[in-house]
Amino acid sequence: MTRTPLRPLARILQARQKGENPDAIERENLRIRHEQMRDKARVRAEGRLLVMSVMFLVAFAVVGARMGMLAASEPAEPRAHASGASIIASRADITDRHGRILATNMETHSLYAHPQQMIEPLRAARELKAIFPDLDEERMVKDFTDPKRKFLWVKKKISPEQMQAVHDIGEPGLLFGPREMRLYPNGALASHIMGGASFGREGVASAEVIGTAGIEKFFDEELRDPARGGAPLELSIDLSVQAATERVLDSGMRLLNAKGAASVLMDVHTGEVIALASLPDFDPNDRPNPPTKGSPSDSPLFNRAVQGVYELGSTFKIFAAAQAMELGLVRPDTIIDTRPPFKVGGHRIGEFEGHNYGEIPVEEIIIKSSNRGTGKMALAIGIDRQQDFLRKLGFFEPTPLEIVEAAGGKPLLPSRWTDLSSVTISYGHGLSSSPLHLAAAYSAIANGGTLVRPTLLKQQGAQFGERVMSPQVAADSRDMLRKVVSSGTASFGEVPGYHVGGKTGTADKPREHGGGYYKDKVIATFAAMFPAHDPKYVLIVTLDEPVETSGSKPRRTAGWTAVPVAAEMIGRIAPLLGLRPEYDMGEVAEVTLVRQ
Amino acid sequence: MSYLEYTVKTVPSGWRKVLYLNWPLIILLTAVACVGFLMLYSVAGGELQPWAEPQMERFGLGLAAMFVTAMVPIWLWRNLSALIYLVSLALLVAVELFGAIGMGAQRWIDLGFMRLQPSELMKIALVMALAAYYDWLPMKRVSRPIWVIAPLILILAPTFLTLTQPDLGTAILLMTAGGLLMFLAGVHWAYFAVVIAAAGGGIYTVFLSRGTPWQLLKDYQFRRIDTFLDPSTDPLGAGYHITQAKIAMGSGGWTGRGFMQGTQSRLNFLPEKHTDFIFNTLAEEFGFVGGFSLLVLYVLVLVFCIVAALQNRDRYSSLLILGIGLTFFLFFAVNMSMVMGLAPVVGVPLPLVSYGGSAMLVLMIAFGLVQSAHIHRPR
Repeated sequence: MTRTPLRPLARILQARQKGENPDAIERENLRIRHEQMRDKARVRAEGRLLVMSVMFLVAFAVVGARMGMLAASEPAEPRAHASGASIIASRADITDRHGRILATNMETHSLYAHPQQMIEPLRAARELKAIFPDLDEERMVKDFTDPKRKFLWVKKKISPEQMQAVHDIGEPGLLFGPREMRLYPNGALASHIMGGASFGREGVASAEVIGTAGIEKFFDEELRDPARGGAPLELSIDLSVQAATERVLDSGMRLLNAKGAASVLMDVHTGEVIALASLPDFDPNDRPNPPTKGSPSDSPLFNRAVQGVYELGSTFKIFAAAQAMELGLVRPDTIIDTRPPFKVGGHRIGEFEGHNYGEIPVEEIIIKSSNRGTGKMALAIGIDRQQDFLRKLGFFEPTPLEIVEAAGGKPLLPSRWTDLSSVTISYGHGLSSSPLHLAAAYSAIANGGTLVRPTLLKQQGAQFGERVMSPQVAADSRDMLRKVVSSGTASFGEVPGYHVGGKTGTADKPREHGGGYYKDKVIATFAAMFPAHDPKYVLIVTLDEPVETSGSKPRRTAGWTAVPVAAEMIGRIAPLLGLRPEYDMGEVAEVTLVRQ
Repeated sequence: MSYLEYTVKTVPSGWRKVLYLNWPLIILLTAVACVGFLMLYSVAGGELQPWAEPQMERFGLGLAAMFVTAMVPIWLWRNLSALIYLVSLALLVAVELFGAIGMGAQRWIDLGFMRLQPSELMKIALVMALAAYYDWLPMKRVSRPIWVIAPLILILAPTFLTLTQPDLGTAILLMTAGGLLMFLAGVHWAYFAVVIAAAGGGIYTVFLSRGTPWQLLKDYQFRRIDTFLDPSTDPLGAGYHITQAKIAMGSGGWTGRGFMQGTQSRLNFLPEKHTDFIFNTLAEEFGFVGGFSLLVLYVLVLVFCIVAALQNRDRYSSLLILGIGLTFFLFFAVNMSMVMGLAPVVGVPLPLVSYGGSAMLVLMIAFGLVQSAHIHRPR
């Protein structure tokens, strides 16, 4: 940039010669330069202003154009059902293993009031009372006429008929909001698995549905996650099998005057729970409130199959036998002396009804259910190894089942594990666990010796868990269990066509406030597996305080109570599970002979 | 110091100043305000209470404030610019602190007859401060980085404070008005290109990150953006305001449903019908014709401001007039885009029409400054 000097020498000298003041020239030049600068700045500023004006113009044009567009648009009232559809998609359905609906959503409406917009609050209250008899008319009148109330809920869920009736009142201050509701179309069926759902944060336009119990609560986040795209949650439950199980269990419970019952049916290879029932049950569509008095374990909300921990009695004996065989301490034909006396830690170990089975092989100990025989095997195994084995089978921790109640089913272990504990636990006393624990442990024997993790979600194939016993020991154990049914304490467990193996367990109920056991209250359990030669399923049936009164004196042992219920159940569900009946040729021949 | 010298002698003094006021501008402002009265009267169902009458009183007060401001010579205002800015900033900090003590409720200072929001005051104070800064700064230094940072601080300090209130609308106004004023003052365009490119790139990156492991926003934040871009996805939830507002405009059509016949606003479908969404009431009752007329009034206000700025050879005055015109325009543009679904709902009132004291009074004082600059312009 060339700069013109403010005092150009040539002009200054000229001016001096003419006698003029050279400062005037400098002033003049300074003025010219300022003007140039000003003009330049002016041009620049005006350019900027032009750019800005164009921007303004564009903005105004956009606003004007938009105004025209909107003016030309046809107003479309937003439709409630349009949003209802998107709300419904927000909580996924739950289905059984064949895709049949266990839980879905239904669109209902809520009814609320804007008292300030009401024209005839008194009439509205009167007519509402006629539609909903459970509402309190005086209270409504008070709320509707209170000048400070701007909003109040009248009813959270109303049916379409009720909605129409409220519409017909014609009161502008009564308004409806769309509302998604969780619906369990099967009612009380599988209620303990489903748990229930209720409303979380509530708005007029919608309400959040949140799981409050069971699998609904366990998978609450997943079910609500819009990223699922409405894909249903597929459970391992089989609806037909579940229905048959509950039906049989319910009849059995009534017939045997039991106050509660539970059953678990598990696939021994996949760990899938096919059916899980606990009675009494409830309707998850109208989940009752938790009881405020009495024992929570007597509430219908209490899940006996998962939450309830009981001493499961002689069903435990097979674990001692299996472990003793696995450790090489005994073989099925090893003779053990079960004669009295057998004292441990100063306590005398007795048998059921004071029997004395004499010197019998291990097999017979299981078949006859000898406490003393099992106890002697437990002593030979030792405390550490027994604990280790039971821990592996899952008896030390709550089951990992995908319902929130599972965490509450924490097994009760002896505070000090003495030789006496070791012996009593071997025949199922002194350690309380849930029927589901037992199902998982029996599955390990049934599937050839590997652990399975119980699950409620549909699996894609067998689990291959840690091996806890050799296939041979598992097979020997199954043989014993089969003989318990064919010739032992569970002889009522025979189901024509389906070979059942299993073990009974009858445990006296401990008194609630300490001080020993009841003489006339028992927990009767039958742990079954079928088909016995290659088990596919394990079934646990537990009855709380059953009593069989057809004989001269009341009978309470599992053989008379839990076993016939389980047998009836297997007879019903085995065909549903797709198992084909198998008849021994010999039997058939015999029957033919008799007919002739 | 201004690079223009002028003599004070030619400037009118005493009551003669009244003759030299920019009367067309005053008439325009009054016309806009009257539209507001009419709408507030209609929204209240044909009643002066509770909105129209207080609004008229405030406008009267605003006019008085405008005259008083206009009588004070503009050079006095220029000399006070820095002080006013600092006081406004201090007030902003003060409400922030008191707000924190009073559980975050207080965003205003009680003057007895009205509640003053310092963030409103800041809108003029920032314009004054920037105008004074560029008046003082020699032209050739305007684009030097160090001299660009100073006004940036002037802008960003109040922006940040209002953003934490949180008042997104005011923060956007402050930042945009400040930035545009810097542009008008002649800061090299490359700075603006860089800022726009960075902002554009940032937004593009955020959207690019959606669904990838390094996602920059949470899912719900993206969903809010979705709702903004297409309110029909959630017409009863987050998109409620805007859906109802659009229905109002559509139901107005070209000629409107007639004065006091707007169902959207009278039946309370339209939220904030007397404040931020008052334009929709207007559009429903007077249609496109009514809405466009208001638009023309706003354009004229802006045109008169630009003309006044061009007439004025004093750099502070012209920058101040343009800055105030800009702020006015931004109020209007943001509000209009918001109620017509072109921008997110951020809570900016329609200037001089929406019901509300602080904004009205502050705007009238601002136009008082414009008048002062006009009266006391070098001749």
